[in-house]
Amino acid sequence: MVSIRATVMVITILTVCVLVTHTDSSAVPHGCCRGYMKTKLPFPVIRGYSVQTQRELCPINAIIFHTQKGKACTDPALNWVMDYVNRLRNKAQRVHIKNSKM
Amino acid sequence: MEFSEDDSMLNQSDYDYDYDVVTPCSYQNNHSVALVVGQYVHSVIFVLGFLGNSLVIVTYAFYKRTKSMTDVYLLNVAVADLLFVLSLPLIVYNELWSWPMGPVACKLLRGSYSVNLYSGMLLLACISADRYIAIVQARRSFRLRSLAYSRLICALVWTFAFLLSVPTFYFYNWYEPSHTRDSFLYEREERNRTFTRDAFPYEGEERNRTFTRDAFPYEGEERNRTFTRDAFPYEGQEANGSSRSPHYVCEFSFMDDDAARTTKVAVPSTQLAVGFFLPLLVMISCYSAIVVTLLRARNFQRHRAVRVVLAVVAVFLVCHLPYNVALFHDTVSMFQQQTCEASDALQVAKTVTQTVAYLHCCLNPVLYAFVGVKFRNHFLRIVQDLWCLGKRYIAPRRFSRVTSEVYVSPRRSVDGSNDNGSSFTM
Repeated sequence: MVSIRATVMVITILTVCVLVTHTDSSAVPHGCCRGYMKTKLPFPVIRGYSVQTQRELCPINAIIFHTQKGKACTDPALNWVMDYVNRLRNKAQRVHIKNSKM
Repeated sequence: MEFSEDDSMLNQSDYDYDYDVVTPCSYQNNHSVALVVGQYVHSVIFVLGFLGNSLVIVTYAFYKRTKSMTDVYLLNVAVADLLFVLSLPLIVYNELWSWPMGPVACKLLRGSYSVNLYSGMLLLACISADRYIAIVQARRSFRLRSLAYSRLICALVWTFAFLLSVPTFYFYNWYEPSHTRDSFLYEREERNRTFTRDAFPYEGEERNRTFTRDAFPYEGEERNRTFTRDAFPYEGQEANGSSRSPHYVCEFSFMDDDAARTTKVAVPSTQLAVGFFLPLLVMISCYSAIVVTLLRARNFQRHRAVRVVLAVVAVFLVCHLPYNVALFHDTVSMFQQQTCEASDALQVAKTVTQTVAYLHCCLNPVLYAFVGVKFRNHFLRIVQDLWCLGKRYIAPRRFSRVTSEVYVSPRRSVDGSNDNGSSFTM
């Protein structure tokens, strides 16, 4: 019977803890692309890219181009998208070779 | 370092282009709703569910031996609900704080959530079938309703629930989403920094690792540090926030796209079918037969029994139908393109309706256990005993013997008197 009193105490403490810790949640919601851009991006505005894959929590595959106006969701099935990705990779390769020679 | 300060020129060139971007969805509304619901409503559910279900378990453990088949089911439902309620604050805490408890907790919490969901729902279906046999098929009930039988059924239900949860155990993983973790950032040629860890996930896991390791050996540790942190100074808070503290999730992850597509549909579909429609179907068919039988009977308590049946079904529908509609909609439209507003609204609907569904495990003790007169008598004795116990602690020592005699003696007499084990526990 003492255990009931103890469990009530434990619940109260747990609840207080949950309430206290939750008041200042700092977790940033992880964004997923849910749609693609309809238009083509101009290449010079692209600063880089990341890859959103269906194999993780997001429901659709996407190439996210990082631009000055923010991240842009694009369809990896489109030719221009993969072309941009290749161009960015080639640039990186060149940078790598240049640096290696130094 | 020796990087020139000609950034302004490069930056300006951006403004020459006119383009709009479709950005990843931030789910702001859902996040704020989840924050409020997570803090307040879930705490209430946790406290009520914990109290109600542990009282049921305590009553069975100390006062009322599980004599009938219904008792065994009710005890199992209470155990499933209690385990569910216990995992709830941990899941909510982890969801809001990017899973600080790590990979083992991720698998265990998601898995136990699934096991308890399935076992709870299937046991409710078993209870309705048990009542059907007791009331409608009363002649066969002596043969079909034995304790050993119900224990076997409960064991089967838990095994089945566990088997249905294997995909959840297996595919839920603790990780940092690659699209937030790994960015191939080519900022400007002068900077020569291609910050990348997994620059080309499309080429498969194996090559990613080797490529990035070999391609930038000279950059060493520093490469990973600078990645995204300084690369996007203009993005401000968002980029800083997401890159400084890694944001872990406990979600599905798969080796290939086919497995991903199949499982992402199969898991919620199974939940809809076995976790909602099957118990609903069993409950509706059993309880409608029960109601028909009760209305024909000449029992003065029949109206009360019918009311209880209707309440059980109504609460089940009110709690679970909205969430399952949202889940169905989410599953059907998963791979389609959506606007962020629509997607956010759907997530808000799921968060809210899921909380309503959670309410069910606080209501089960009331609907199934405390509604029964016999159970209430046992429960009242717990209260009485607690009161006596309190008196014993507070009052001087010499009273203790008297009080203990008072609460022990009626227990035996009542226990002996109601041995008929009627299934409805009314």
